This record gives sequence, structure tokens and C-alpha cells, in this order.
Amino acid sequence: MTIKRTLIWHSITIIGLLAATGLFALHDVDNLVTMTRFMEIQEKLNASFLEMRLLEKNYFLFKDDQAIHDIANSIRMVDGTLDDLSRDMIKAAGQEKYQDLRHALDAYRNKAQDIAASKARDEDSEMALRESGRQVLEFSTGLTMNARGKIGELISGSKRNLLISFPLFLVLAVFSTPIIFSRILSSLDKISLLALEVSQGRFLKIEGPVQNNELGAVITAMNTMSEQLRLREDELVQSKKLNSLGFLTAGVAHELNNPLNNISMICQTYEAMYDSIDAKDRLEFVSQIAGEVERIQAIVMSLLDFAKPKPTIFMPGGVNAVVRRSLKLVRNTLDVTNIEVLLDLTAGLPLVNMDVNQISQVLVNLFNNAIQAMSEDQTLAVRTRLSPDGMVEIEVQDTGHGMTPETLSSIFDPFFSTKGTDGTGLGLSVSYGIIKNHQGQINVQSEIDRGTTFDILLPAVESGEVENE
Amino acid sequence: MNKPCIMVVDDEKIVGDMAKFHLEAAGYDVETFVNPVLALERAKTKRFDVVVTDLKMKGVDGMEVLRTIKAISPSTQVIMITAFAHLSTTVEAFRDQVFEFFPKPIKIKDFVAAVKRALEAKGAESDGA
Repeated sequence: MTIKRTLIWHSITIIGLLAATGLFALHDVDNLVTMTRFMEIQEKLNASFLEMRLLEKNYFLFKDDQAIHDIANSIRMVDGTLDDLSRDMIKAAGQEKYQDLRHALDAYRNKAQDIAASKARDEDSEMALRESGRQVLEFSTGLTMNARGKIGELISGSKRNLLISFPLFLVLAVFSTPIIFSRILSSLDKISLLALEVSQGRFLKIEGPVQNNELGAVITAMNTMSEQLRLREDELVQSKKLNSLGFLTAGVAHELNNPLNNISMICQTYEAMYDSIDAKDRLEFVSQIAGEVERIQAIVMSLLDFAKPKPTIFMPGGVNAVVRRSLKLVRNTLDVTNIEVLLDLTAGLPLVNMDVNQISQVLVNLFNNAIQAMSEDQTLAVRTRLSPDGMVEIEVQDTGHGMTPETLSSIFDPFFSTKGTDGTGLGLSVSYGIIKNHQGQINVQSEIDRGTTFDILLPAVESGEVENE
Repeated sequence: MNKPCIMVVDDEKIVGDMAKFHLEAAGYDVETFVNPVLALERAKTKRFDVVVTDLKMKGVDGMEVLRTIKAISPSTQVIMITAFAHLSTTVEAFRDQVFEFFPKPIKIKDFVAAVKRALEAKGAESDGA
């Protein structure tokens, strides 16, 4: 179920329960008010009936003729009251009880009227009137008792309703609300964690089953995004590599030129002096050509190897070997530009879990940048050492033109370049991504006209293995 | 009349070997060196009419060869072999001291012709002197 629907249903349930409890309570209070009013009326009626019984006594015992007329008057008044309040009374006591009271009262009135007319004071008349009066009072008292019982039931019913609805609320509030919230929050936690990882260049995915709700959709989208970013970065790494290749080519062209020239000269000599060279020299020529072709092949292979897209493979390896291998790739560029290399590699460094090709790419990129920043006869220094916090450190230092603090602050940004159309502005951003992906750090210091130093820190493998030199 | 003396300095051995074939065929004395240091040692004991040197070599480069040769023997003509179309400013500064910049890959006919021109130029200079 979607979060929206869950929340709507949760709210509807709670609001519904609240409304129902409220309505029940209102209904109960309404009934109580009715019953209380009925009780008041009933008590007034009881008082009237008691008075009538007194009047009966006055008539029969004290021979007061006026008393029987007073009874009739009282009955009329009570009749009026019962007519006026019939609705309330029927509601409270029920049609049947109301009618019984009316009938009893009618019978009592008839008796009283008969006695008033005949002025009888005989024993039968007295008995009849008294019995009738007693019945009226009995009905009325019954009604009062009944009303008391009903009030009691209403109060205990109300109490019971509250006792049922309160635990229901409690269950909803204490159990279902935290469950709903924790489901949402745990998904949010996963998402924010992934967002953090992605922002730091680690394109991970949220594993496990995905909930079928809005956050599930966000997680799926984030996973897709992360995957896309990873693919884009792979593409970037590759494009950057091809870009480095362009720069490397200048050096490679020079390196290819020598064996090509050698072959060319042998061929020209062979052609021009075929007759004057002896068989032994001819054979020598051919084997020299074969040797030069091998030289060319080796150069082409190393270029192809560098350019080929490769899946990222982390393996424990030594940084010194990678530094040497990367320097080899820029060897010719260094020769062409007449830049000296100062190599200071610490022996016996711990191994590093790395993708050798990617680290080599980062180094080639840094070397190329350094070479481009320097003029002839300057020095490129490459050092490796163990950092104080136990990481393996590669330092690439040039004595080139350096960078301003403004430039320095954006060098790792994608598409930032100081080389105009000569740069893509991706080299260092890709390098940064690669080093981050290795759980490492890349730091830079630079001073105008003094040069730039890049520091790469890579975590050593925990096995404690060291690089054999 | 003595044969003209040519020195060829290139750390690629084949270049010297092949140049030697053709220059000897053209009638010159030829000495080849793959190590520029040894070449410069030799230049101290023997005057060469023309020195052909590669610009890019490990250790001592062509510019060093040029400077030393010109110091020892200003009349010696220097041909500089270079693979680069663009010369760096440092090299450019010595342009007037170099008889000719000769591109790699080497066309041997043109190369022999260039050496011949250098010898003629040297002869003209010597005559003038």
C-alpha cells in the first residue's frame, strides 16, 4: 500500500473512532438529560399522587366534602401535565407504561367523580377509591424506579463504551503509528545514506526487497540513478583515458619514429646497394628489420593496453610498480620536453587494494598535467611513502607555473579547465572519482611559479603484505 | 688530397651504420658513434669536416654536441637530425650555428646531398678564410 493511502487510512480510522466515541457519548448524555427531566416530572407527579391519597383520608376519615373535589382538581391538573409532557414521558418510560398510568388515572378519576356525585362514604366506595389511588401511585412509583434503573444503565453503558474505545485508541497510537512511522523513516534513512554515498562518488545500490510505495519508487529511482552515474563515470574514465592518449601520442610518435627511420634506412640501403652488400650483411639487415618491428609492436601494445576499456578489478598490488609502469607511458613525453624525473620510491610499502589500470590512469593524468605545467629542464618528482596514519602515499610534485587559490578550489570540478580547448576539464574530476572509489584521498597544494604537489593516499590492505621490490 | 671526414652521432646504431654505408660509398671517411660522450672525446683529437648529430639522445643531447664541436672547431659544419617539425626556443636560438636541420625519417639521397652541401659550404668558408 502506498504511504499516502496508509496515512489516509490511519487518519480515517482514528478520526472515525473519535467521532464514534463522541457520538455515543453525546447520545448517552442526551438520554441522561431526558431521563433526568422525566425523573423531575415523575417526582412532581408522585407528590401530587401522595397528596391525593391524603385527600382521600380527609374525605373518608374526617368527612371533609371539599376533599373529593380537591382530588378531582388534582387529577385534572395531573391529566394536563401528562398531556403536555406525553412526548417526553413516552420517550423515557415507553408507550405502554404511559398508557397504563393514564388508564389507572382514568379509573381513579371515574371513581372520584362517582363518589363526588353520590357523596357516598360507604366502605365499598372507600375501598374502591383507595385501591384505585394505590394503583396510580404504584404505577407512578414503578415508573420512577424504572427511570432510576435506566439512568444507572446509561451511566454504566457510557463507562463501558469509554473502556472499550480507550484501549483501541491506545493500540492504534502505541503500536500502529510507530510501525507506520518506522517503515517510512527506515526507508528515508536508507535513501539519505545512499544519497550521501553517491555525493561522495561511491555509486552503490540499496539492496533487498523494495516496498510498493512512494519511498519504494524513490529507492528504485535512486538505484537507477546510481547505476546510471556509475556507467557515466565508467564512460568518463574511458573518455579521459583516450584524452590522455592524445597527449601521450606526441611522445609515442617520437618513439615510433626511431624504429621506423631505422627500417626505412635499411630498406633504402638494401635497395641502393644491393649488389655491393654481401650475403651476411643482407641477413643482418633482415634480422635488424625484424628487431625494429618488435620495438614498434611493443610500443603499440602498451598504447592499446592503456586505451582498452577494462572492468574495474580491485586486487592487492604495490604502488611502486604502478608508478614505474605509469612513468614508462610518459617516458617519451618527458624526453621530448626534456623534463627530468626524480624518483624516490620507499621500498617495502604495504600493498594497496586497487585497480592497477585506474591508478595508472590517475598517475598518467597527473604526470601529463605536471609536464604541461613545466618548461624544459625542470624536474618532476615522484615519491612514495607510508603516511603517518598508515596509508600509502604517492606524491607527484612539479616545479611548474602553479595555480592561484581560485583555480585550486575548482580543479576537481567536472569540466573545469585552464587549458582552453586543449583540455576537457575532466581529467582531475575523473581522477578524484577513481581515488574516492578506492576509499582514498587526493589532496593538492600549489603556489604560483613554485609548482604544484598532488598527494594520493590509499588505504593499505589489512593483511599487512608488503611490496616486494 | 685527403678524403673529407664525417662524424655521425646517433644513439640509434642502425642510423650510423646505414649512413656509413652511403657516405663511404660517396667517398668520405666516416666515423660513427652511438655514445655522444665518446664522440666528443674523439672530436678533441680529430678535426671533422662535417658532424651529423641527432638532437634527442640520452645523456648528452645534440645541442651539447653542437656547442662542443663549434668550440673545438668553428669551421666544422653541423647537421642536426630531428624528428620534430617544431624546434624549441632553446634550439631555435642556435639556428645560425647549425648548417641544416635534417628531418627523421631520413631520405638517404637527400641526406648524402646535405652532407655534400655542408662540405661545399665548409670549403667555401675555408677558402674565404
